[in-house]
Amino acid sequence: MTPVEHAPTPRRRQDREPRPEPDAVVLHDVWRAWGGAVAVAGLTFALRPGEIAACVGVTGAGKSTALRMVMGAIVPDRGEIRVLGHDPARDFGLLRGKIAPVFQTDRLLPWRTALENAALGLEILGVPAEERRRRAQAWLERLGLTAAASKLPHELSGGMRQRVSLARAFALDPQLLLLDEAFSHLDEVTAAGVRADFLSLARPLGTTCLLVTHSVAEAVEVADRILVFGRPARVVAEVRVAAPVRADPVAQDRVRREVLAHLQGAMAG
Amino acid sequence: MRSSPASNRGAGASDAAASGPARARVASGGVRLPAGSVLGTLRGWRETLLVVAALLATLQLGSLVVPKYILPDVPAIAQAAREVLVSDARDIAATLLRLTEGVAAAFALGSLLGVAMGAVPAVARYARPLLNIMMAVPALNWILFAILWFGSAEVRVFFVVVVISLPFYALNVYEGIRGVPADLVEAVEAFRPTRTQAIRILLLPHTVPYIIMTTRSVLGYAIRITIFAELIGTAIGIGARLNAAQSQFRIDAVFAWTAVLVVINFVLQAAVERLDRRLLRWRPEQALR
Repeated sequence: MTPVEHAPTPRRRQDREPRPEPDAVVLHDVWRAWGGAVAVAGLTFALRPGEIAACVGVTGAGKSTALRMVMGAIVPDRGEIRVLGHDPARDFGLLRGKIAPVFQTDRLLPWRTALENAALGLEILGVPAEERRRRAQAWLERLGLTAAASKLPHELSGGMRQRVSLARAFALDPQLLLLDEAFSHLDEVTAAGVRADFLSLARPLGTTCLLVTHSVAEAVEVADRILVFGRPARVVAEVRVAAPVRADPVAQDRVRREVLAHLQGAMAG
Repeated sequence: MRSSPASNRGAGASDAAASGPARARVASGGVRLPAGSVLGTLRGWRETLLVVAALLATLQLGSLVVPKYILPDVPAIAQAAREVLVSDARDIAATLLRLTEGVAAAFALGSLLGVAMGAVPAVARYARPLLNIMMAVPALNWILFAILWFGSAEVRVFFVVVVISLPFYALNVYEGIRGVPADLVEAVEAFRPTRTQAIRILLLPHTVPYIIMTTRSVLGYAIRITIFAELIGTAIGIGARLNAAQSQFRIDAVFAWTAVLVVINFVLQAAVERLDRRLLRWRPEQALR
């Protein structure tokens, strides 16, 4: 069993072992005010390609604000963000087709069928109609939604809709998946199913994933690395979760308690 | 009842003559629409038929009491209606063509303006007061302007219908665009569409219910305006025939034309309803208790 690793944070890039590939996501001393308060305060972290990282923090810790900055939806007041070598807000078009989001609610277009929704990213990318149909259909099938392809969102259950939104993200074959509380809107059983589907797809593909979640258990189950956020958002601790830990409930529980202790420490401090 | 795109924000109908379903009477964002929808009556066929029968009976009874030149009897009206439908089909066609042209142009130009207002805030800032001023001008004044400005009867009617219907389309499409949920905007934007793509994928589909709602309300109003404009300025059309009937003291023909217009209105509303069902299949039926 691999011991849990507590890395001092923030770590500077040059401290790490040399790697051939550049980091997929780099945040360096990022600050951002939101709603009159500082939401993100000196956030620094980096994601290696293929890594699945989870940002865990209490409600209102600025996790979503951080994710939206990575998405390029909002810009930092200060600091630098590089996503796949680009500024996500300024190089808006350059990252087209490379980043895909999954939100807390499905956010499907209500007038589009599941298939048309799943094909959204491909359509924006300019993939020809026939090709994007085929690819979207294939992803719906992989997520167990073959029969739902021609259904409208309101005709689907919450779990199915979230699977369609996963299909919409995966259909792009993105280099970076951003998940904002993607499983927390569902009941536990459904969430576990959708989460398992997500992992079974993301891991073999080697897609870099950045999750934001308030559920420590979810973070431990899903992520290679957990970034514990203080409030306002900055990384107060980093916990690595090795594959054997994720497979072992007892070890999982131990990591979960470690992360919780960090969170409580952050709140107390 | 389906929930209207903005039914809980809207102003009531300014013209209470017709009472369609709530969503048809209610315009979004405080834009007052004349209620043109008589569709509600179509929902209950039995009630509609009963009301028609009661009206005919009242008419028939009334014709026994008052002189024929005030209230003709039902057979006389039916006879007049037959004559009208046979000999004046050309006038009906002319009116319908004018109505279609006017509403289609108002839809096209108004929607375009609405999209421009939604896309460029400066356009909205100036277009809003302009449209509000246009809507505050009484229909009769537009008709007088049309008569003074244009020689051609066709241009007059077209101008009046467009100028009166356009603001409703523009303001409602604008509301439709403003009403796009921020969640969906963020979701679509996250896939990094071009501006044109975002308009095509998100904004335009979102305005469809608003366009249908507007058409529903505008049609009833526009047909009245068309007739009114024809009454004053044309030689062909239902309005012109009504004018002729009035000058010949043909009260039976006036009643016959009235019935024809009511039927035309019903048919048009039913057509919009069909369109609504087809295009808005994606909106789940919602009902209050």
